[in-house]
Amino acid sequence: MKFREFDAEKFIVTTGAWMLGGIWLLPLVFAFWSAFHPAEFSTNFELFAPLTIDNFVRAWSYAPFPRYLLNTFVLVTLILAAQFVLCTLAAYGFARFDFFGKNVVFALVLLQLMIMPEVLLVENYRTISSMGLLDTIPAIGLPYMASAFGIFLLRQSFKSIPKELVEAAQVEGVSAIGILWKVYIPLAKSTYIAYGLVSVSYHWNNFLWPLVVTSSVNSRPLTVGLAIFGAPESGVDWSIITAATVMTMSPLLVAFILFQRQFVQSFMHSGIK
Amino acid sequence: MSSIILKDVCKSWDSTQVLKNINFECKNGNLLVLLGPSGCGKSTTLRLIAGLEIPTSGIVEIDNRDVSNLPPVKRNISMVFQNYALFPHLTVAENILFGLKARRVPKKEQKKRLKDTADLLGLSDFLGRRPAQLSGGQRQRVALGRSIVAQVSVCLMDEPLSNLDAKLRQEMRQEIRALQQRLKMTMIYVTHDQVEAMTIADKIILMKDGEIEQHGTPEDLYNQPATAFTGNFIGNPPMNILTPDSQIMSAFSYLPRSPDSISAYLLGIRPENVEISEDSGIESSVMTTEYLGADSLIVCRSGEQTITLTVKGKADITAGDFLKLDLKPKHIHLFDRESGMRLEDSAWRKAS
Amino acid sequence: MKPLFQLRYRNHVNGWLLVLPAVFMISLFTHYPIGSNLFHSLFSMGTVTRPEVFIGLENYSYLLDDEIFWKVLTNNLIYSMCTVPFSIAIALGMALLINRNIKGRSLVRMAFFTPTVLPMIAVANIWLFFYTPEYGLFDQIFGIFGGDSHNWLGNPDTSLFCLIVMVIWKESGFFMVFYLAALQQLSPELKEAGLMEGSGRWYYFRRVTFPLLMPTTLFVTVNAVVNSFKLVDHLVIMTKGGPDNASSLLLYYIYENAFSFWDTSYAATLTVVLVLILAIITIIQFVVVEKRIHYQ
Repeated sequence: MKFREFDAEKFIVTTGAWMLGGIWLLPLVFAFWSAFHPAEFSTNFELFAPLTIDNFVRAWSYAPFPRYLLNTFVLVTLILAAQFVLCTLAAYGFARFDFFGKNVVFALVLLQLMIMPEVLLVENYRTISSMGLLDTIPAIGLPYMASAFGIFLLRQSFKSIPKELVEAAQVEGVSAIGILWKVYIPLAKSTYIAYGLVSVSYHWNNFLWPLVVTSSVNSRPLTVGLAIFGAPESGVDWSIITAATVMTMSPLLVAFILFQRQFVQSFMHSGIK
Repeated sequence: MSSIILKDVCKSWDSTQVLKNINFECKNGNLLVLLGPSGCGKSTTLRLIAGLEIPTSGIVEIDNRDVSNLPPVKRNISMVFQNYALFPHLTVAENILFGLKARRVPKKEQKKRLKDTADLLGLSDFLGRRPAQLSGGQRQRVALGRSIVAQVSVCLMDEPLSNLDAKLRQEMRQEIRALQQRLKMTMIYVTHDQVEAMTIADKIILMKDGEIEQHGTPEDLYNQPATAFTGNFIGNPPMNILTPDSQIMSAFSYLPRSPDSISAYLLGIRPENVEISEDSGIESSVMTTEYLGADSLIVCRSGEQTITLTVKGKADITAGDFLKLDLKPKHIHLFDRESGMRLEDSAWRKAS
Repeated sequence: MKPLFQLRYRNHVNGWLLVLPAVFMISLFTHYPIGSNLFHSLFSMGTVTRPEVFIGLENYSYLLDDEIFWKVLTNNLIYSMCTVPFSIAIALGMALLINRNIKGRSLVRMAFFTPTVLPMIAVANIWLFFYTPEYGLFDQIFGIFGGDSHNWLGNPDTSLFCLIVMVIWKESGFFMVFYLAALQQLSPELKEAGLMEGSGRWYYFRRVTFPLLMPTTLFVTVNAVVNSFKLVDHLVIMTKGGPDNASSLLLYYIYENAFSFWDTSYAATLTVVLVLILAIITIIQFVVVEKRIHYQ
């Protein structure tokens, strides 16, 4: 019974948080409701409406979702692998070597934080087209493979590694690349995880640039596929569109629910400068 | 009149009890030090008085008023935190006035109190600076200023000097003591440093494992340690605590003979009271000597026991020497072997 | 001499070799297109029969007279000025709620954060349905109170605000995470000191918490403003900028010009404007960061 006034306040805060959380989840709850019920119930919320997976079956058969899923998967993997290699090398260069023009080059790299490739889509389209890469998966990934954000994060993390560890390795005669491989990369593991999660969710969701450079099923990622599928002129039922929507977001959603802590912490980690 | 009384105060976190039946009184205008090793419950005790924690059971009284369930602000106290708790974005003046502004003290009064406090602490030239632009000692003064400016008669201090270097710590503790006496504050001061406690306190409460080991003046704790733990904790180098063996028993006939063959007590003697003797005493060999300037520290081994002693100046003794050590009866403290409690002098001195 | 020479320049060579691949790629897709954008904006649109010719600032004077451009720019400013402060305020509120030790804290946090991990396209699909006349969730709720059916997205007065509401919903949770991280770094001793000195919750928030969160607020604001200029995925699904460009945004207008009207030279001109806006935001950010007092 101590501090009764504080308890009342806590109750209000808790209720407020729960209510706001409920409102925030509402659109998702609705999407799932509509996806798992027959069309006549999609705006008709009856508790005992029959459940069905028919919408999913039909969405699956109307459009080549397995192929889209595969494309997105290949795309995300390709980008992440390239980013890890390119950003690691560059971050190592910026963190450990003093070379002519370093600060200017680093400032130029950071420019990409503000002006992302999708902003420059007209000219980037021209570049990709002159390379003859239009409508391929690498075309979607190329502009993002060297990421200023990744270089920045890894450089920060490399710089925070104690100098003694590096010097100890040097005394033992480990080469520069050996030091990167045996000291820097293992110690920056949490940054790699954080950056990896942020990157995967960004490119899983990315839309405008892929929309511009793809034109066939062979290269379209899920987001573009979903947009074409859901366009009003396609004349498909709402419930089927929501089913397709749920399908598109569920891999990431499941991953997020399973690794909620890591996700939130990764995003936190990536924001602290 | 600001006295602080704790009655049967207990505190538990989940199932672990961190404070067991704490009872004490701090009289008006006194400086009471809560002393003990880390984890003994001294900081928790302070936080209970502050109102930052609520006791599981028992009563906290300030000025004969039960404040056990009052939030901190209603207890009419001030507190200095270990890391000073200065607001990094506010200037020294804003930091000092933070509480007055919160309590809507009139502007004119604020100004006057700020000036008095700054003068008192020598902070007048730094009022416009931010904490990051101050030295450790100056930050400490700002923290003191925040508690003085409130003009409440009870001040709590949680290891206020632990972030300062040794020299500054000595200066600041003198200053805090002078301030406390000048402003007639009732102060409860937490530290793990026995030298700090001895030099500053009117009364010391020595704590261990959530219980009070001894409550008394610095002299009491030094001269009449209530337990072997107190004897060992107070004083530097620490008191020798010996387990009497046959050599000791035969060398010092004044020691009480226990009924059993194994003695039932521990023998305590301070290093400065161990004497080197020509003829009587126990045989020991010197392990190490350390020259400290004013005196030398000599560590000896006698049978299974390690005995430390200090001698004035540079001792002409080296490792490997043999010494006879004499333990005079007037310097001896005896403690029960099981409980560690002091055996009253009258009891064993009469018997011998 | 040779080994010494090598040693002296080894750092330079190694450093350059390490950063070169990434720097090359970034230049190719960031710096080069900025330049070539500027270049192409000075030329007319080439066709099969007529090659592109240098026309100087003609595209820019056309731009100044282009009512749609001004409309879109105004829209984008309204859009930024609504989404940024609201999503930041909500994010801060969420962070303050979650930062306390309440029941079901991680569940609530998840609810706030989930919209962030979803594709904008999927979110747009769901919200499109909310805004559907008669059947949509909004009209149904209004129907309960006897309201008429609205064509939310089809009405030039409401379409932009429909997008704004959705974006606030999607982005608040993202910004909340940064506030949460910052709040957890505030020392609890400060809070206790404030409590001892009699500061109430509001006073403490105003005088301590909010100022100490300033660096985070700046970071989040810049992020939010940049997002409001570069994220237009939802327009493709929900309004296509309509009706009558009422909900169009700058990047979407660029996209339309380049890939619907195939006027790439005007699109390049518009891109120059967008890059300028982003550059100005960057400069403002640096000035504020420079001016900001470093607390630590």
